[in-house]
This record gives sequence, structure tokens and C-alpha cells, in this order.
Amino acid sequence: MVAMVDKNKTGGFTSILIDWRMWIQAAFLMVWLDPAGLRLHTMCSPVFHCYACPLATFACPIGVIAQFGALHVFPFVAVGLLIAVGALFGTLICGWACPFGFLQDLAAKVPTPKFDLPKFTGYFRYVMLIGTVLAVPYFFGEEHPLFVCRICPAGALEAAVPTMAGQVIAGEDIVWPSILKLTILILFLIAIFFIRRPWCRLLCPLGAIFSLFNRVSAFFLRFNADECTHCEQCHKLCEYGIEPEKTPNDLRCIRCLECTKCSPDALNLSSIFSRAQEQE
Amino acid sequence: MINKNTKILIFGLLVLLGAALLTYGAFFHSTNVSAQQDGQPVLLAKSESALIKDASVSGVKRDETGKIKQTYEIGEKAPETCST
Repeated sequence: MVAMVDKNKTGGFTSILIDWRMWIQAAFLMVWLDPAGLRLHTMCSPVFHCYACPLATFACPIGVIAQFGALHVFPFVAVGLLIAVGALFGTLICGWACPFGFLQDLAAKVPTPKFDLPKFTGYFRYVMLIGTVLAVPYFFGEEHPLFVCRICPAGALEAAVPTMAGQVIAGEDIVWPSILKLTILILFLIAIFFIRRPWCRLLCPLGAIFSLFNRVSAFFLRFNADECTHCEQCHKLCEYGIEPEKTPNDLRCIRCLECTKCSPDALNLSSIFSRAQEQE
Repeated sequence: MINKNTKILIFGLLVLLGAALLTYGAFFHSTNVSAQQDGQPVLLAKSESALIKDASVSGVKRDETGKIKQTYEIGEKAPETCST
């Protein structure tokens, strides 16, 4: 009974939160876009937002890890932050706080045909993480064309484009980013209208890191087999091709929590400290 | 299937590890960086916070010998934009 009351309370709160997700993402955006002009680039944020952006409060943790890799210095701050935040929230950060994810969510609102991605493509993120964030910077330095910042569409969109616009306005010579970076940016800008969150699902190295914490994070998706009627409504609610009743804390999940809208109430956002979990 | 107590233990250890790394990096870790002052080489001990800021604008580079060098002279302004 205690478990039931607690679960219903959590479920009710989660459903209110889901309706407000876009606004919560917008509120976080105001934190990352540095409205107060603080430029706290000595600290990392836990989200994917280029520090070269004229509107960036914090440094990008992926950029910092890659740059430190090129210097052969261990990035204690960035790694510590990602471990602590990952242990707390896992990919809840991706679904609710990341500005680059928010941009893709907004683009997905445009009524264009949407294509799904094969399941195996989710593993490309780990290749990206190991290759362009860890191996290439460490072995070849930041000059290498596959250094993550040199191919990152967030860097191209948030930093290179505003910088070029500034150069045009000031009448200066335009410093173009590499062809590879521009190509990736154009492909990304096309893809966001036809695939939901293409960057997050295919290549995001930060999402790859947070996904590793999904099974052990303090907040997680709890599946209650007793409540499940096998109606597979959650399959339709999930926009990312996950079957939440089989793998509620799937590596590909961004924890948008849409699946918790399933009417039998079999899926809920829970925490390791909740009583409902204790009763399970 | 991981049970609740194991989850709490793993969570606690991860948070502790993360907090320890974060604290060490933010307050105690420093890296030796070669810089130039009036044409003379100077060795600086840069805190990790300062190194994050410099790395984000290509203000530091690693040379062929493995030394980390500041790309601008002491007293000069750091580069404003990232080289990538």
C-alpha cells in the first residue's frame, strides 16, 4: 500500500514534469547562454555547449577532455564532474538540460517525415568518444583533422557561425572552418528535421558517457512487471526505438520520460532512495 | 539484476570519486607551463582552472619535446577565439 501511494505520487509528479519538459529545457538554456555575462570558462558544465560560443557560461567537458588529452594532462575537473553528475542523473541531463538536445527537439517539432535509426548505430557514439575525444587528441594532438572540436557541429553552429557573422559585420576577412566541419554541420542541419536527435543518438560522446551510468544512477526508470499489461503502448510512446519494458535503462535512452505516460503506469521515474523501490 | 543496496553503494562510491576528482582538480592540481616574459623563458604552475580557460582558446600547446607551452607572452592578452 505504501509502495502504491508512493508510486502514484511519483507518477503524478513525473507526468506534470513531462508536460513542462520544453520549458525546463528553455530554463536550463538560460543558464548555459550566460545572460549575466559571467564567462566562467574555468569550470565545465555537464552539457554539450561549445565554450567558443559567444554565449557560453561554462567550458564544454568534451572539449576540455580532448584538449587536456592533447596536452597529456589528466582532466580531473571534467572527469570528476561527469562521474558525479552521471551517477546522479545518467542521461536525464540529455533529455532535460542539454541545449544541443533542446535544439534538436525543437527542430523535430517541424512536421516532416521522420526516419528511425537501426539499433546498432547507437554504438557509434562510443567509437566517437574513444576515437575523436580520447585517442586522436592523445596520439596526434589538436591539429589532427579528426580532433573532436574540429568536426563538432555544436562548435560549428554555436561558435564558428557567430564568429563568421561577426567578421562579416566588422568587414574583416572571414576565417572559414574546415570543409569537413562545414559538411558535418550541413548534414546535421538537414538530419535534425528527418531524424529525432540525430547527434545524440549517433555521435554524441557526452551522451555516450552519461549512458554508461543509466543502470546505476540515483534517478532511473523503474519498470513494474505486475502493472504491465503487455499492451506495448510504451513502444509507441518511445520516439527512439527502445522497448522500455525490456530495457528501461537502455544505453540509447535520453530519459525524456514519454514512456511513463503508458496508461497501466508500469514505468516510472524512480530513485534509489525511494520507498517504492524498497517494496519491489 | 542489481539490487537496491548494491545500487546505493555504487552510487555512493561514484559520487565520492567524482567529488574527490573535482575537488583535487579545482583546488590542488597544477601543471607546469613554459611561458615567455620579455623574451625570457619562465616556468609557470598553472592551476587546472586556469589551464581549462587557456586550453579553450588554444592558449597552451604541447610541443614535440612534450613540454606544455603558453602561446602568448606573460602580460599579453590571451587569444580570444579557439583555433578549431
